[in-house]
Amino acid sequence: MSGCAGLFPQTASLRDGLPEGLPQQVELKSVPFFPQDEYQCGPAALATTLAATGVKVTPTQLVPQVYLPERKGSLQVEMLAAARRHGRVSYLLAPRFEDLLREVAAGNPVIVLQDQAPLGSWHYAVAVGYDYDEGDLILRSGETERQVLSFPAHEFMWRRSGYWAMVAMPPDRIPATAEEGRWLSAIAALERAGGAAAARVAYNSFLKRWPDNTGAAIGLANTHHAAGDLAAAEGVLREAARRSPGSVIVLNNLAQTLSDQGRHEEALPFIDRAKAAGGPYAAAVEETRQSILKRMKK
Amino acid sequence: MKKLLCRMLVLLMIWTPYQVAQAGMIGTDQVVQTASADRSAVLNFVSRADVADQLSAMGLDPATAKDRVAAMTDEEVRYIAGKINAMPAGADAAGILLLLIIVAVIWWAWKR
Repeated sequence: MSGCAGLFPQTASLRDGLPEGLPQQVELKSVPFFPQDEYQCGPAALATTLAATGVKVTPTQLVPQVYLPERKGSLQVEMLAAARRHGRVSYLLAPRFEDLLREVAAGNPVIVLQDQAPLGSWHYAVAVGYDYDEGDLILRSGETERQVLSFPAHEFMWRRSGYWAMVAMPPDRIPATAEEGRWLSAIAALERAGGAAAARVAYNSFLKRWPDNTGAAIGLANTHHAAGDLAAAEGVLREAARRSPGSVIVLNNLAQTLSDQGRHEEALPFIDRAKAAGGPYAAAVEETRQSILKRMKK
Repeated sequence: MKKLLCRMLVLLMIWTPYQVAQAGMIGTDQVVQTASADRSAVLNFVSRADVADQLSAMGLDPATAKDRVAAMTDEEVRYIAGKINAMPAGADAAGILLLLIIVAVIWWAWKR
């Protein structure tokens, strides 16, 4: 027994007991199914999770976004990146079987990367349910709408990808297993990829859960600023400056936002405080300061 | 010389859409990134161009490759730069028959 448990260590520890708060069985029956064409499990798996959150998309439409012809497959990084193009926040799960179950139990289909070598090769499937008593995971996989895999069989194939798993979340929701810092990075990635409007929604949800997070406030203000809502950006940054008076980025961005509204005199004390603090953003701060001074001379 | 010119043009083309932060505002990615904040931005643009080149070489047209790189974070770009050939690319449908055998063989591990 113990020798075999080494092949699927997480299954072995799951068998010791159902982790707290998890139901015995779950199945997300409403998650759609797109049978994959040859080699195209990446587009199929991604379409499955996106469509489950209300994005109208088919695997065919995703082929130019994730499929790599020469590799006849899809890279993990591109799976994460492509979901952002549809206004979803891509989140890489911690490499834990328990976290996979927690996300499914919370209603979030999970894309997993399995290694089917020596049978075939790398394969994306979507976990949509489990039955703990039976020890079964339920997946949409390849051409199979409802594949039932025993926990150890799944772990056997899954562990070789380093237990790679992702969810693609609508911006107003937070994954059940989200870690504060990594979830913030995931939202910032969406913002950077051109999803500022969706990111704004996500930052708002984030701040409801973690109101003291200065990084999320900066992100929220940046999305307001990008949308031209300078008053909203100012409000968020003032609150952030009150909570963390030492944040150079908050001071810089607040000064910039005030100056952008023509209130250069008001902006100056903030940018001077940012300058006095020094640190890694000194060059950017100095640039902001100079541009404010230049505007004042006009 | 011509090659250099081409390279510069590609870089310029790549550069433009990545200038997402508004003038004067420090971007959110500066807050969350783990690498040092004052790392040269130019380096990032170059690795984005590199990755776009590599994706093109894998059968994508340059505009598609550029769009795909645009959806990645700096970290993701650095992570896959130069390694695209060696990374797992999820592809195959399950070899169902063999899979079933494996499932049967290790079934007992759960059931005993």
